[in-house]
Amino acid sequence: MAKRILLVDDSASVRTVAGIALRGAGYEVVEAANGQEGLTRLNGERIHLIISDVNMPVLDGIGFLKEVKKHPSYKFTPVIMLTTEAGEDKKQEGRAAGAKAWITKPFQPQVMLDAVSKLVMA
Amino acid sequence: MEPPDADALVMLEATAATPANGVARLLPIWSRQIETSRRQTEDAIIALTDRFSAIVQRIDAALSAHGTGSQSTETGSDAQHSRNDLALVIDALKAIQLSRNELVGQIRTLTTYTAELHKMATEVDQIGFRTNMLSLNAAIEAAHAGESGKGFAVVATEVRALSNAARDTGKQIMKKVGLISEALGQIGRSNEEVAARDDQAVQASDERIRCVLARFERSTAALTASAEQSHTESAAIKAEICESLVQLQFQDRVGQILSQVVASMNDLTTQTAQSSCAAEAAQLATEHAERMMSTYTTAEQRLNHQGIETTSVEQSAVTFF
Repeated sequence: MAKRILLVDDSASVRTVAGIALRGAGYEVVEAANGQEGLTRLNGERIHLIISDVNMPVLDGIGFLKEVKKHPSYKFTPVIMLTTEAGEDKKQEGRAAGAKAWITKPFQPQVMLDAVSKLVMA
Repeated sequence: MEPPDADALVMLEATAATPANGVARLLPIWSRQIETSRRQTEDAIIALTDRFSAIVQRIDAALSAHGTGSQSTETGSDAQHSRNDLALVIDALKAIQLSRNELVGQIRTLTTYTAELHKMATEVDQIGFRTNMLSLNAAIEAAHAGESGKGFAVVATEVRALSNAARDTGKQIMKKVGLISEALGQIGRSNEEVAARDDQAVQASDERIRCVLARFERSTAALTASAEQSHTESAAIKAEICESLVQLQFQDRVGQILSQVVASMNDLTTQTAQSSCAAEAAQLATEHAERMMSTYTTAEQRLNHQGIETTSVEQSAVTFF
């Protein structure tokens, strides 16, 4: 059975680029446009890995990540942050909140796929 | 280039008591212009991305429908199956030919038997002839014996009649054997003619099948090559489009930078409007610049703020925790 990935980003173009790469690699993809929508998606699907932007409206990526880590079914689900944020402080904030990897945009799809493959198998 | 906002300029001239107030009046206009540009760019890029995405999906569908790798294997396999099936047909024809040749051989053997039969019939005739001579001599001897040889003369007469009958039978056998031999000879010749024609037909069929198969293989090879080229080209086009999609990520980055600029301008507008003199406005601007550092999301924003020129954006840095 294909692994299902939740992709949270307010940029439709980024969701499209990442979605094509992930689906092409055989993953199922569930999309959300912000952290709040991402939390809603978690309640309706079985998710094996989460990819999230940081700067988003309504609920940002770090806030979303903290909520995910409180969720009884998803506290151990690996989360990759996919963001324009390259600052070390922000990365450490993401690490402290429970992120497993940090990828800066713009990204090459293969780099993202390699990280997904490594974490989804773990 | 868009014309200046006339209403805003009139309002600016009427109300601007200080340079700071004048800038404060311009800031909302710039902010709106930037926001409009950002929104239009975003809408256009999203529409473009959707189009590219649809093209990629259609190419994917076409590629999976072609399935060229397996298709060329299937075509090769079909050609091999056809070759094997037609070889079986030729084998069947050759088997029939072989059976006919065996039949011809058996008929030749029968012909040798008829020669033996003819010889045996000739011997029967010879025996009849010699028996006839014997009975004739016996009749002469019986006549010499006179009255006492009369009984023997009757036996000699009967023996002569039997020898004549034997000769007649021998002649009839020879005649029938001759007829059979002639018929067998005719059958043999006919069979040989048919066998020769069969040989030619089998050879011609074999040759034609080879020609048809060769033409079929040339056609399928051309089709396979064409399909493979089409597949390769489609895959290359898909890769180009996917790479173009990757490049469109600039919209997300530019959008974030512009959003931050707009938010910062709005913030500065509000603060400057509250200042009563130029010195206070300058102080507010300095404090605002310091606060802006915490709102940046990209490396180039921070470099720009520090007055360092940014030339390129580093891609795809990944950090595992």
